[in-house]
Amino acid sequence: MLSLRGLHKRFGNVIAVDGLSLEVRRGEILGLLGPNGAGKSTTIHMAVGLVTPDQGTVEVAGRGSPRQPGVRRLLGVAPQALAIYEALSPEENLRFFGRVQGLSGRALAERVDWALSFSALEDRRRDRAGGLSGGMKRRLNLAAALVHDPELLMLDEPTAGVDPQSRNAILDRVVELRTLGRTVVYTTHYMEEASRICDRVAIVDHGRVLALGTVADLISSHGGDPVLVVREGGVERRLPTRDPGGELARILAAGAVEDFRVERADLEAVFLNLTGRRLRD
Amino acid sequence: MAASSLRAVLALTGKDLRLLSRNRATLFFALGWPILMALFFGYVFGGGGEKGRIPVAFVDEDRTAESAQLLSRLQATAGLEVTPSIREEGTRLVRQGKRSAAVIVPRGYGLASERLFHGAPRKLELEVDPARKAEGSMLEGILTGAAMQSMQDLFTNPAKTRGMVDRSIVDLDAAPGSTDKESTRKFLGELRTFVDRPRQTAEGGSSAAGQGWKPLEIELREVRNEKVGPRSAFDFTFPQGILWGVIGSALGFALSLVSERTRGTLMRLETSPLSRLDVLTGKALACFLTIAAVESLLLALGAVFFGIRPASWAMLAAAALSVAVCFVGIMMTVAVLGKTEQSASGLGWAIMMPLAMFGGGMIPLFVMPSWMQTVSNVSPVKWGILALEGATWRGFSPSEMALPLGVLLLVGVAGFGLGVRLFRGGED
Repeated sequence: MLSLRGLHKRFGNVIAVDGLSLEVRRGEILGLLGPNGAGKSTTIHMAVGLVTPDQGTVEVAGRGSPRQPGVRRLLGVAPQALAIYEALSPEENLRFFGRVQGLSGRALAERVDWALSFSALEDRRRDRAGGLSGGMKRRLNLAAALVHDPELLMLDEPTAGVDPQSRNAILDRVVELRTLGRTVVYTTHYMEEASRICDRVAIVDHGRVLALGTVADLISSHGGDPVLVVREGGVERRLPTRDPGGELARILAAGAVEDFRVERADLEAVFLNLTGRRLRD
Repeated sequence: MAASSLRAVLALTGKDLRLLSRNRATLFFALGWPILMALFFGYVFGGGGEKGRIPVAFVDEDRTAESAQLLSRLQATAGLEVTPSIREEGTRLVRQGKRSAAVIVPRGYGLASERLFHGAPRKLELEVDPARKAEGSMLEGILTGAAMQSMQDLFTNPAKTRGMVDRSIVDLDAAPGSTDKESTRKFLGELRTFVDRPRQTAEGGSSAAGQGWKPLEIELREVRNEKVGPRSAFDFTFPQGILWGVIGSALGFALSLVSERTRGTLMRLETSPLSRLDVLTGKALACFLTIAAVESLLLALGAVFFGIRPASWAMLAAAALSVAVCFVGIMMTVAVLGKTEQSASGLGWAIMMPLAMFGGGMIPLFVMPSWMQTVSNVSPVKWGILALEGATWRGFSPSEMALPLGVLLLVGVAGFGLGVRLFRGGED
C-alpha cells in the first residue's frame, strides 16, 4: 500500500531521515515507534508529499508519488497538532474538509454524518470545536482525516495529550478502521499503544528503521530472555532464563522460596537493547 | 481552473469569511476602528455641524412681501440652510463650493404672484453646482412646493383673493386680444362668485386653470464649483478610515494564514488534492472580498450620512478594487515574513504603521510638508488614499487616476507573486 525506499532528508546540519525504507501492507496497522526527534513525523510528511526527500522514493498504492492530486485523494492525514478550526463546529469542520477533498451534495452529507458518528461527536456537532474537551478535539482531528474515506491513513501521535479514557476510545477507533479494511500508519512513542493495536512495528531512531516485525517477533529477536525474580531469605535474585518454569522448579527443589515473578521483555526492552537508550530519554 | 478546484477554492473562501465573522478582534479592526477614525478626525478637522442640510444662498431682488414670504418658507424648511445674499455673492459662493445652490428672486416675482391663471407666471432663477444635481432637483421640488403653498394661502384669504381677481379682470380687459381671453374672463368671474360665497360652501371646488398656465417657472443655470479641496473634513477622513479598515483586514488575514501553518490546518489542506496555489488563492479571494465589503460599507456610510460624493462611480469602483488587490498582495507578503502569529502581528503592524503615517493615514496628504509628501510615495497607503480621493473630491481625470491605480495593482500583483513563491506550509 505504501512503499518508502531509501528516504533521506536533512534540515541544515540535522539529518532527520537517514536511508529509511519501509513497505506497508494493505489492511494492516503499522506502528512507527521511536522517541521524539527520531524522524517519525518527517517520514510521515515525506509519505504524504508535504516534504520532498533529498533521496529516495515514495509510492502510494502503486499509483505513484503522493504529490499527485489523484494519489492524495487516497490519503488521510491526522497531524500531531490539532489541525481543526476551533471557531467552527465539528460539523462545519468536517463539511469544509470534505469539500476540499472534492465531496459535495448527498455524498458529503453522508460522509460527514458517518465521521461524526465514528468519532462519537454527534451530540456536539453544532458546538464550537474550541469548546470541546481535549479528547473530543483529538477525535475530531481523526474524523477530519477520514471524512473523504481514504484508503491509507497516516496518524501522527493521535493520542498526544489526552487522558487514558480518551486514549482508549481513540485506539478502539483505529482498530475499527482496520476492520473496515483501511491501512493505517501510526506513529507513537508509547510502546503500550504500539503493542496493543499494531500488526507490525518499526522501531525508528536517528532517522533509520532499526527493526521491523510483529511485537512478538521483535521481543523474541531483540527483547532478551525472560527474567525470573525470586526472593529467598529477604533477598531478591534476578535470573535471566529461556525456561523460567524449569529454573523455578530447580530452585524450589533446593530450598524455600518466599516469592517469585517472571518479567518478560517488552518493546521498551527491545528499544533499550537496540539503542542503549530508553524510549522516553 | 478546473471546476473541482474552483469549488474547493470557494469552500476555502467561505470558510475564511465564516471564521472572520466569528473573530471579534479582526472585525473591530476591519470595521469599528476605521469608522471611529473617520468620525473622530472628521469632527476634529471641523467636519461636523450642519451635515445633511443643503446650504443655499437666497438673493431677493424683488423685495416684496411675496419674496419675503418665500424666504421665510425656505428658512423654515428642514434640510435647507438658507442665507440671504446678493446676486454676485450668491453665484460666487456656489462657484467656491460654499453653497450648493443660489435661489434668485428676480424683480416682478411679487407682481406675478398677483396674476392668477393668465399672463407670465412667477419666475425664479436657480444656480446649481452640476456636481450636486441631486441637491438641485430636491431644491426645485422645494421651490415648487413653496409656490403651491402660497397659492393655497391665497385661496384661504377671501379678501386677498377678491382683490387679486378684480385686478386680474382689469388687466385682462386691458390686454391685447388673446385666444382664451373670453374663457379666462369667464373663469375669473366665476372665481369671484366662488370667493364671495360663505366659506362653508366653498369646499370641493374645481381646479380649472387657463391653458398652459404655470404657477411657477424656474430658470435653472449651472455654476461649476471651482473650489480645489475637500468639501468637508469627511471627504479626506473617510478615505483615511477606509485604508485603516483595509489594513486591519489584510493583517487579520495574514495572521489567519500564519495560524493555519502553525496549527496544522494548512498541512491538512496541502495533503488534499488542492495545490498550494489553490489554497493561497482561496485565502486571497476571502481577503479581497472582505476588503471590498469594508470599502463599500464605509463609502456608503460616508455617502449617506457625511456628504461624500463620488466624482465618478466607475473610477471609485476602480479605486476600491485596486486598493483591495494591493492589500491582498501585502497580506501575502506579511504572512510569508511572519513565522508565528505573534511575529507576524508585530511585524505587520511595524511595517504598516509607518507606511500609514507617512501615507496620509493619520494626517491628510494635502496638509503634509512637501518633503513628507515626497517620502509618502513609497507608501501604498498614500496611493490608496489618493485613488479614493481622486474618485471623490479631487475629481481626477482617467489619466490622473492611472498612476495611483497602476501603483496599487503593481504592488498587489508583486506581493501575491512573492507570497506564493516563498510560502512554505510544512517543513519543506
